Amino acid sequence: MKRYDLIVVGAGPAGLSAAIEAAQCGLNTVVFDENANPGGQLFKQVHKFFGSKEHKAKVRGFRIGSELLAEAQKLGIEVVLKATVVGLFPDKEITVRVDDTIRHYKGDTIVVATGAAENVVPFPGWTLPGVIGAGAAQTMMNLQGIVPGKKILMLGSGNVGLVVSYQLMQVGCEVLALVDAAPKIGGYGVHASKLARMGVPFYVSHTIMKAEGTDHVTGVTIGEVDKDWKIVHGTERHFDVDTICMAVGLSPMAQLFKMAGCQMEDSALKSGYVPVCNEYGETSIPGVFAAGDVSGVEEASSAMLEGRMASVAAAEYLGFITKAELAEKARKLKGALQSLREGMFAVENRDKILDKTEEGYDISKHLLKTGFFLEEELAKYPGVTKQNGIHAVIECSQNIPCNPCQDACPKGCIQIGAKITSLPVMDEGKTCNGCGLCVVSCSGQAIFLVNEEYEDGYASVTMPYEILPLPARGDKGWALDRSGEKVCQAEVVSVKTAPAFDHTHLLTIKVPQDMAMKARFFKGGSFYA
Amino acid sequence: MPKMQDRSRNIGAFVPAGDDDLLICRCEEITKGEIRRAVHDGMFTLTEIRRYLRTGMGLCQGQTCGRLVKGIVARELGISPAELEPAVSRVPMRPIEMKVFGSETEAEGHA
Repeated sequence: MKRYDLIVVGAGPAGLSAAIEAAQCGLNTVVFDENANPGGQLFKQVHKFFGSKEHKAKVRGFRIGSELLAEAQKLGIEVVLKATVVGLFPDKEITVRVDDTIRHYKGDTIVVATGAAENVVPFPGWTLPGVIGAGAAQTMMNLQGIVPGKKILMLGSGNVGLVVSYQLMQVGCEVLALVDAAPKIGGYGVHASKLARMGVPFYVSHTIMKAEGTDHVTGVTIGEVDKDWKIVHGTERHFDVDTICMAVGLSPMAQLFKMAGCQMEDSALKSGYVPVCNEYGETSIPGVFAAGDVSGVEEASSAMLEGRMASVAAAEYLGFITKAELAEKARKLKGALQSLREGMFAVENRDKILDKTEEGYDISKHLLKTGFFLEEELAKYPGVTKQNGIHAVIECSQNIPCNPCQDACPKGCIQIGAKITSLPVMDEGKTCNGCGLCVVSCSGQAIFLVNEEYEDGYASVTMPYEILPLPARGDKGWALDRSGEKVCQAEVVSVKTAPAFDHTHLLTIKVPQDMAMKARFFKGGSFYA
Repeated sequence: MPKMQDRSRNIGAFVPAGDDDLLICRCEEITKGEIRRAVHDGMFTLTEIRRYLRTGMGLCQGQTCGRLVKGIVARELGISPAELEPAVSRVPMRPIEMKVFGSETEAEGHA
């Protein structure tokens, strides 16, 4: 039986990070993954990540995947693909299916990073072809190059539902509605705003009553739910769709821990049945660790940190590093993890409706229901300032762990401060030169450049733009407001693209002066009628 | 004794519901009504339900329906889903043909 210092199960963000950290500590490490490609969910993730700049925020998920892979390769880590770990035993032995055989391996330590699986909601017709998970839609679009459907209804407004809806729009699908049974949008307001300004309506406190069709989905009926989750009679609404996507949460895939005999717990905060772990992710079996979504559903940045945390603990357990070295490494990782777990999207705030930001600003209730701000609400935020000439307007109102905009501004106009979840503040004493670096670096696409004195009677608005084909200078069309309504005619006056922008283009449109704070999107030829 | 194992507990009679024909376990085609009935037949644990109805025994191994079945059984028993122990996890945790499962080979680089 082949033996390793560390066996990692799963080559996603947590698993690869665990392997990299372990190899750096000197452990002889192998990674098994059942998929044909490494990277877990990372290679499906074409959006720019949130988080701190040191931990790869504003980098697109699939690039983070490539970086992790390159790092793993450089360290000579063995990554075995199409290798399904089918058993984990208390003595840290695993059985792996490779081709048509079962092979045994023994690890002196094991990190299980098997991630999570999508939840479903059953409704009449939910087994019809055309009802798919949002993850499946993402796999089809971003890995296999298949458009999942033409007209889509998304159930679930958490970040997965929001991000996948945006990607569906990017590949040319029409998202007819975003539906959530909760009374508010679950994911980041900035993700919701991207959809709202493209005209996608949100139906909170609504759920799917039935999917229609005989051999595939041809339509769907939704209805409003009351506080007891019962449909309110007379609120039914029909949509002609060919695809229904479900993004209704994830459940950890923790079966390997259970079969190994680890102590388990059913935790709503961790989204399901997970092993009981200590601060390093170590289970009740010494030397067996959990990292990433399998130990409680979060997101990729914290998964990467958890993977590293498990490996430094494994390294200390095996004597590769000292207790003091472990304490030092763990302290740094814990600090970074803690910062990602703060703010209004922290686990303890899940399902709560907050009134104020940490700084005491009113939180827009309108945003949480519709995906867009009312103009009068916006004016209160510290990133929304009025200046003569060109200046940035930061429409960021939630305490999200994210700070790339602070470093993006070469003039130092934007300050977030030490706390990564704080709202960005515009320094009115400094002068914006309109370079647009903040616009492209904002993972939430919430920064715009506004110049009310662009031309006599006209203002210019520069927005992040990621829809193809890209409009060209001179194109005429419509300016859409934050709700996706046409507000005025607009002309494209500039389109800037640079390798450093990483496919987020700077689209500048010219609109009548009084539209400067209203126009937030451009309806170009590519954008469906 | 945990509530769920108290076989003498009266959970009332089976009351048919409008959504009883809703498919819950896709792989084995088990409906919500069948699961609810199974509870009234005395299947109080998820392992029993699985043996009785084969929910979660198909291709997905309960990955899709496990959570749903748990919720339905808990509701029928009048307890929280967290009180119900999930069904047993066994090797192999993915469906495998017997000929593969039986074909054990030394790992390469045998030491």
